[in-house]
Amino acid sequence: MRALGMMAVAVAGVVGLAAAGRSSQAGGTVAGKVRFTGAKPLMAKIDMSDESVCKAKYTAPPTEETVVVNANGTLANVFVYVKAGLPADYAAPAPAEDVVLDQNGCRYHPHVLGIRVGQKLAIKNSDGLLHNIKAMGKQNRPFNVSQPTSMTTERVFTAPEVMVPLECNVHGWMHAYLGVLPHSFFAVTGTDGSFSLKGLPPGTYTIEAWHEKYGTQVATVTVTAGGAKTQDFTFTAR
Amino acid sequence: MKHPFWQAVGILALAFVVIEWGIPLLPGSALVPASVVLQYMVTVLAGVLIYVSDDEARWRRFREPIQAALVQPRLKPVRLGGLVVVPLVVGWIAYGQVRSAVQAPPNLRSIHPAPPAEITFRGKSMTLSGLDNPLRQHADSLPVYIAAGKRIYYQNCLPCHGDRLDGLGHFAPGFNPLPANFQDNGTIAQLTESFVFWRVAKGGPGLPREGTPWNSAMPKWEDFLTEREIWEVVLFLYDQTGWKPRTWERTAGGTR
Amino acid sequence: MRAVGLSDSRTVGLLGAVVVALLSVSQTVRLSSQDTTRGKTVYVKWCAGCHGEDGKGDGPAAAYMLPRPRDFTGAVYQIRTTANGQLPTDADLMRSIDDGLFGTAMPGWKGRLSDAERRDVLAYLKTFSAFFADTTQRPVALAFGREPGSDARVGRQFYDSIGCRKCHGDQGRGDGPSAPTLKDDAGFPIFAADLAQSWRFNGGGDVAAIYRRLRTGLDGTPMPSFSDLIDQKFLTADELWHLAQYVRSLSPTRPPELRDVIHAPAARGALPAAPDDSAWNRVEPSWFPLVGQVIHKSRWFTPAIAGVWVQALHDGRALALRITWDDRSQSPDSAWRPFTQRVLASVAGDDSTPPAAALWPDQLIVQFPTKVPEGMERPYFLMGAATQPVYQWRWTSALRTSGRAVAGLARGIERFDSLPAGSAPAAQAVYDHGQWRLVLTRALATPDTADDLQFRTGRAIPVAFFGQDGSNGEFGTRMAVSTWYFLALDQPTPPRVFVTPVVAIAVTLGLGLVLVRRAQQRGTRA
Repeated sequence: MRALGMMAVAVAGVVGLAAAGRSSQAGGTVAGKVRFTGAKPLMAKIDMSDESVCKAKYTAPPTEETVVVNANGTLANVFVYVKAGLPADYAAPAPAEDVVLDQNGCRYHPHVLGIRVGQKLAIKNSDGLLHNIKAMGKQNRPFNVSQPTSMTTERVFTAPEVMVPLECNVHGWMHAYLGVLPHSFFAVTGTDGSFSLKGLPPGTYTIEAWHEKYGTQVATVTVTAGGAKTQDFTFTAR
Repeated sequence: MKHPFWQAVGILALAFVVIEWGIPLLPGSALVPASVVLQYMVTVLAGVLIYVSDDEARWRRFREPIQAALVQPRLKPVRLGGLVVVPLVVGWIAYGQVRSAVQAPPNLRSIHPAPPAEITFRGKSMTLSGLDNPLRQHADSLPVYIAAGKRIYYQNCLPCHGDRLDGLGHFAPGFNPLPANFQDNGTIAQLTESFVFWRVAKGGPGLPREGTPWNSAMPKWEDFLTEREIWEVVLFLYDQTGWKPRTWERTAGGTR
Repeated sequence: MRAVGLSDSRTVGLLGAVVVALLSVSQTVRLSSQDTTRGKTVYVKWCAGCHGEDGKGDGPAAAYMLPRPRDFTGAVYQIRTTANGQLPTDADLMRSIDDGLFGTAMPGWKGRLSDAERRDVLAYLKTFSAFFADTTQRPVALAFGREPGSDARVGRQFYDSIGCRKCHGDQGRGDGPSAPTLKDDAGFPIFAADLAQSWRFNGGGDVAAIYRRLRTGLDGTPMPSFSDLIDQKFLTADELWHLAQYVRSLSPTRPPELRDVIHAPAARGALPAAPDDSAWNRVEPSWFPLVGQVIHKSRWFTPAIAGVWVQALHDGRALALRITWDDRSQSPDSAWRPFTQRVLASVAGDDSTPPAAALWPDQLIVQFPTKVPEGMERPYFLMGAATQPVYQWRWTSALRTSGRAVAGLARGIERFDSLPAGSAPAAQAVYDHGQWRLVLTRALATPDTADDLQFRTGRAIPVAFFGQDGSNGEFGTRMAVSTWYFLALDQPTPPRVFVTPVVAIAVTLGLGLVLVRRAQQRGTRA
């Protein structure tokens, strides 16, 4: 895995050099909100009684995060990204900093996240008790690593894939989803349900919104240089 | 190694090695039971004695080391050792003979008991003698029947008879007698398709007494499969193993 | 060897290395440049029934087994020598094809398919996944080093500190708190391995194999890799080896051998009625494998109980049977209910819709004929028949506090008529970290001689065992079964057993002395 990772970093570096001449400061923006309609589903409480360290980190019992509806009627944890439309030769170097996935209170933070091909994912165990971190990609090779103590494990993904499910088998309720992309045009909705994709080269794009329970929705958006487009999505309870 | 005594010892040792460890390595062989080993060894010993006593000079030379061990003061330890070890071995064998542990009763099982001339399959009477696999009449459809038979086999027969059809499926170790090995030339290769149909349809409970029906884990497949499905799976057994079923002799007076 | 006899051993080694290198090069060339049509022919004929025509692990037999057959399209393999997440080497794949995967439905194909056929099929199954075509994904076997001297005590420390017990349980029997939640990558329920049954470990049960599994993980299952812990200096390679040694120490030195007869020696003191009485330590256990009840509707293809250990003692008046079996759950246990539901939903069977999960108990049945048979004839092993019933003792975890099991007559798998409680055997059971230990005690003779089996010493009495793990969805006809074995209540050893050998020794010694004496007399005369 390490050798593969290094190779991927090397490839990303070469690609990055090739793209250095291209500038995207005059890019456009696509922003919007992900709304939720219908009855808000009840999320089950997680029984952490076997893990007192984790249980002590909560004042009220935590609930599952399959569907998180915000106070303003929007949906959190939606992964919005450019699925298609970038020029075939588009490339930009991956950011040098790591993407951090923290295991804290026997939950993943964040629950949904994105990463670039070749960028490092630093998986941190802040609980100091046994977690295993298992990635079950189809395009990427899987991994399953034990973390019995406070430690950080680094892994790299070599192929674009939306989404790679991550889970802990010690704590069956722990799930996270990782979007791996060859570009940085992705966002995850938070507590206000909004997203924003900045610096897009002018062109027509397929934008997809992914949710772990409600699946995907697609929109086509045309972006002009320096222009801003609004594109909202709506998921309905079922 | 030229001395007849040591030659004899060598031959006995070699015979023991071959009987004890050589024979089980041959394909299709099992461990030789201790009593049979003893029998073989006695035979070999007799042969060796006949050979050495055949010639007077050889016989004398053969006896020399034995004589020496019995007489020479220098070999006293060997003599004493023999006097201790031989009676102890005899005593141990005698103990093994008289200490009669209860053993499993012999299980005399006829592997291919005579089939009935006629069976009732799901209420329908079928004459087995002279019966061929009716699906073979439709030669052009055989691949379809065999494919269906394969699916039926894998969904029903696999746990016991195994994916190599050798009776070594993952449940086989739990059963005694072991499930039939269709690759062996002593099972379906020796049988007519109607016999196989009977065994599949009626299973263990349909065996006559000499087939030890109480032990057989073979289900009564008429409870699970239709007549056509059983013929299909029988076709598959022959196709997958490459055996040809035995056929009925057609004579003017009928079938035999 | 004569030709190189003059050169030193280094040259020999070098030559050997060159030969090996040449061989392996030619091997790789052959594998990669191979035409896969022959492999396909073999695959379709012998593998597709389970693994599916398209290699998706969805052949017609797939739904009748857990774990499911490997899906080759993802190129995720459990048993490898390569790092976690990497492709397996060709040698890894060949080993699984040759030896099979113990404890699963995958048999070893060595000797059943020719060397060429197995090589061809290996090349073909690699074509199911694009990962093998990607030449940047070159699998490299890890260096595993050498096993250090055994130190199972250190191994146990790490067993605790790296959290093995979370899934495998305190005593390693697969009963840890996370065990009921485990699923494989395809979402099918999966058991944490019972570490006390190393002969059923998929990739082999010796220390080196266990160490390799710890280093590589079992990809596609919840079992992670521990290699990162060595890199991060949380433990050393030797300490991980010690863990492998500890895990190995949980199983018997050799796989249990199947024997026909359980010998019940005459007890020296009172019969031990308690499962953990130390008297049982002196009685040799016999192992009997149990397999799925696939004979009568509704069949059961994925039993949880692999077998039972049986010990017996008698004192001339009563018989005590101790049955020990590993069971990951003390059913009924609501924590296992989702697991039960997943098992029932995953495994095909005779019912048109999967049965709904319920909180079923664990059950163990001991079966005898109603009379000790005179000939070889016995009732039908699968719970007798309407015309010829069998005598059974049925114990369930629901009866645990009652101190009794139920005695009765089974007339086929679906009919059980219990006998009055007076003739039921006494039962004491403990559930201890993934293991049931049950002692059943009954008088050899009872007043109801028509229905109850009257035990007799010195006879081979047919006996069979049936087990159910309620949390695995086992209820009714869904059970694990055995065929007939025998129980023999040993008679007190008669004195002649000791007289005969002594006489034999004396006679032989006397003859020997005479022989020596006569030889020496002859010697002096000559």
